[in-house]
Amino acid sequence: MTSSPSKNGTGMIEFRGVNKWFGALNVLRDITLSVEPREVVVVCGPSGSGKSTLIRCINGLETIKDGDLVVDGQRLGDPATNMTRLRTEIGFVFQSFNLYPHKTALENVTLAPIHVRKIPRTEAEQAGRELLAKVGLADKVNAYPSQLSGGQQQRVAIARCLGMRPKIMLFDEPTSALDPEMISEVLDVMVAVAEEGMTMMVVTHEMGFARKVAQRMVFMDAGAIVESGTPDEFFAQPKTDRSRAFLSKILRH
Amino acid sequence: MIWQQLQSLAGSYPLALRGLGMTVVLSLISLVLGTLLGFGLGILRTGGNRLISVAIGAWVDLIRGTPFLVQIFLIFFILPEFCIELDAFTAGIIALTNLAACFICEIVAAGIRSVPTGQVEAALASGLSRWQRMRQVVLPQAMRIVLPPLVGQYVLLIKDSSVVSAIGLTDLTRVGWLVVQRVPNGLLVFFLVGVGYFIVCYPLIMLARRLERRMGAAHGEVQL
Repeated sequence: MTSSPSKNGTGMIEFRGVNKWFGALNVLRDITLSVEPREVVVVCGPSGSGKSTLIRCINGLETIKDGDLVVDGQRLGDPATNMTRLRTEIGFVFQSFNLYPHKTALENVTLAPIHVRKIPRTEAEQAGRELLAKVGLADKVNAYPSQLSGGQQQRVAIARCLGMRPKIMLFDEPTSALDPEMISEVLDVMVAVAEEGMTMMVVTHEMGFARKVAQRMVFMDAGAIVESGTPDEFFAQPKTDRSRAFLSKILRH
Repeated sequence: MIWQQLQSLAGSYPLALRGLGMTVVLSLISLVLGTLLGFGLGILRTGGNRLISVAIGAWVDLIRGTPFLVQIFLIFFILPEFCIELDAFTAGIIALTNLAACFICEIVAAGIRSVPTGQVEAALASGLSRWQRMRQVVLPQAMRIVLPPLVGQYVLLIKDSSVVSAIGLTDLTRVGWLVVQRVPNGLLVFFLVGVGYFIVCYPLIMLARRLERRMGAAHGEVQL
């Protein structure tokens, strides 16, 4: 049921037979998946199905046990792969935002560009202000995270990733920790990022977002990819009992 | 008689000043060195290398679990047996620095461990190097936890410096011993010695209390 990896390995993210265990628990089972440049893939599934673990492997927050994972042409776990450098090409948005509480919104955005990309401070700050304006927070550049709402914090977190001009953006349940009225402001920003042609993998249950921008839905259960296809196919005719059961639960409301 | 004693005491004030000076210099040098070393050890202690972490932990436990007087004697009397000659001042500095570093190491390690994993992951994900993560993200947040007990520890260490009088360094405590031989009023003399220490320590006690209040009140936005 899974999409086959591209033959010539041009995928931006390529899982080939990836397995991972937490102790005796097989959290990723024989994952094979290829994400093309500029593609937006939404990953869904019940909690504990391994969705977060899947995308956390891509930037090395989790390590894989066996199989191959190739990101932007570099094989993870290969001694020749400079993980720190590869991470600069991958933005990661966390469920709990993880903004630096001791830095202002602008400092959160400029920290990595200044220290990792070695961009001059004034230039980085200029770019940072523009990014914060783009996510609708031009008036919050000097605010500390504790002074911002959840939705605002998550938008700063997205701007922080964009500041590095990444090739890939990963979202780990970006709206799950938000009050309902703040979800759409974050999704709007994500839609804008997707429409600019970013390669994205998004773990989310926001099916409206999936319908709008995803080229592909991936449904996971018990560590395996059970089903994948276009959102239209997936929502209209889920092929497995498990995906039908899952959809009926999340779409009921 | 008390009048004569006071006069005699007044006459020994240059000695008292020298003692106070020795206590301050000794404390200052070993606290600065101990802080630098303690931060280094604390960072290594939490740095992920198990062997280094265990080794530092064992050394810290050893130093914390033995009397400081015994440590000073070991350094001052035993090292010369191995042909390492030390004057009393150097021995005192080494012993105090080591003691300070061990206590500060644990304070720093606790502070670093208090920073949520998500912070490290965010820094990791944006490509910051190990040192950049420590310098830009972890340490500034750990400092909120570290500062109040750190300053409190300084007070304890300044008082512990009185033990160096045992190897003949003329610090404030030893000046007390010297003076009491001429002015046989132990209560008065050591009351004044106590006052000397208190004058040095009290500002730090106040600082620790202020920091504690400030850190308790603020959530995250404390600028260092």
